[in-house]
Amino acid sequence: MADSFSTKPTPRRKFLDWLLGTSVGGLAAAVLYPATRYLIPPRAGESSAATVTLPLKPDDIAVNTGQIFKFGNRAGLLIRTSNNELKAFSATCTHLGCIVRYRPDLGEIWCACHNGHFDLNGRNVSGPPPAPLEDFTVNVRGDQIVVGKRT
Amino acid sequence: MTRTLLGAMLALCCSTAARAQNPEPKKETCVACHEVMPDGPLADPVKAFGQDIHSAKGFGCAACHGGDGTDASMGAMDPKKGFVGKPRHQQIPVMCGHCHSDAQFMKRYNPALRVDEVAEYVTSVHGKRLAQFDDQKVATCTSCHPAHSIRPPSDPKSSVHPLNVSKTCGACHAKADYMASYGIPTNQLEKYEQSVHWKAISVRHDLSAPTCNDCHGNHGAAPPGISWVGNTCGQCHSVMADNFAKSRHAVVFPQMGIPGCAACHNNHDIQATSDTMLGLGDGAVCVNCHTEGSPGSAEAVAMRRGIDSLRMDLDSARGLLERAKNAGVEVSQAQFDLEGAHNALVSSRAAIHTFNVATVDTAVGLGRTITAAAFVRGQAALGELRFRRTGLAVFALIIVVLIAALLLKIRELEPHTHDHTDA
Repeated sequence: MADSFSTKPTPRRKFLDWLLGTSVGGLAAAVLYPATRYLIPPRAGESSAATVTLPLKPDDIAVNTGQIFKFGNRAGLLIRTSNNELKAFSATCTHLGCIVRYRPDLGEIWCACHNGHFDLNGRNVSGPPPAPLEDFTVNVRGDQIVVGKRT
Repeated sequence: MTRTLLGAMLALCCSTAARAQNPEPKKETCVACHEVMPDGPLADPVKAFGQDIHSAKGFGCAACHGGDGTDASMGAMDPKKGFVGKPRHQQIPVMCGHCHSDAQFMKRYNPALRVDEVAEYVTSVHGKRLAQFDDQKVATCTSCHPAHSIRPPSDPKSSVHPLNVSKTCGACHAKADYMASYGIPTNQLEKYEQSVHWKAISVRHDLSAPTCNDCHGNHGAAPPGISWVGNTCGQCHSVMADNFAKSRHAVVFPQMGIPGCAACHNNHDIQATSDTMLGLGDGAVCVNCHTEGSPGSAEAVAMRRGIDSLRMDLDSARGLLERAKNAGVEVSQAQFDLEGAHNALVSSRAAIHTFNVATVDTAVGLGRTITAAAFVRGQAALGELRFRRTGLAVFALIIVVLIAALLLKIRELEPHTHDHTDA
């Protein structure tokens, strides 16, 4: 009876041993996994931000002017048209990726690199750009201008 | 011969005057007979005509062929009723122009359609050869717009849709035997299909990219002469054309009989440009005229050196910021600012066409100022990353040591507890 007590662990002790063993493993995993993920982060793609609140107030942009803004790590172009309408587009030219700007004298978006022209709907109307500019939504919420990608 | 052409015009004007004012949407008697004929030149036009834009607009056979479409007898084809049957080669532009040169008439169907096609055609090489030599091989309207199955250019099945224009022109111009008597090359289509422009149309589906008619004209088709080839390319590449027009080469090239843009970029097989075209190395086009050691070659090398330095700086700064971004450091503002250097690189490449080292250096200098700032910010971001990683390693080490110490403590306590139980 005494022999069997000293050589055969009871089910309760086995359970405690298992519980402690797995807990240590879990603890180690809980510490090491986030540390490893931090040290080897996943490759980040393009900014997935769908909207951006501009550091501008609606009154800051005059009629028939344009303003470049930061959208993730790319450039956007906000325009207040001569009809007092706010419009926003990607400012990256679809030809070779230069930054476009608004030309008040033409009422068009213009790329200085190769003289590409886009109308105020973002359509490529002259010069070498092969495609329209991506257009964004513009919402004015009080004193804030929120620009977003179209879904 | 011009008199003959004018005579044909007059005859056709008279024959088609009635139907031009009143197109007939209803089925003509011509169809009743011709559609039941065996396949061939008398039946095929009727079968194809259902897909023709003219059919869709309500025009019938008599609109072009004359005659009386309401007469079910052979009398419908009486020349006295204006019947012309199959028009002769020389009659075709006159026949089409009868409606298509009439602005008032065409507005009823398409107000935006041009009405100068025939006026342009007579200035083309095709039109001139037709008028002067009655050349039966030159293109007329129906050579490019196949009679009885004409579709608008916007229709992808149209022979004059941008995707199909080169094949349409090539149907004659790529046939060596057909073109033999004219003594002009027949490899234009083959070359064009290797060009960056054809790739833009066929692969990227960029229908604004040029095909044959964008450089040669369509109805007024003619080869661009040496003196105005730059104007042709300058329709789209206006910055380069402006730069070139102000350059020394704009004066020298015509004197030497060198066609502007085509001297470096070729004409039909225009390839995507690269920096290797500049300078004296492999692939450089400057060496075609400038021998090594000449002042021109030295300037080419200087411009190439400037552009290479900016490109390498830009790549380096981009790589640095990308590494920082992938490691989780916020560098979006630095990446945003670096786009200005990309602008400068593209502008400096366009500035090459001034063939002026100072102009190129100005654009390069602007870009390198931006890349230098971005490089500093990238290094600072990676420095911050190193600091965070070192801190994490120290923190992790402390945790490991703490765990080890706890384990040792537990082991130290275990015998004492056991002894106590035994006692």
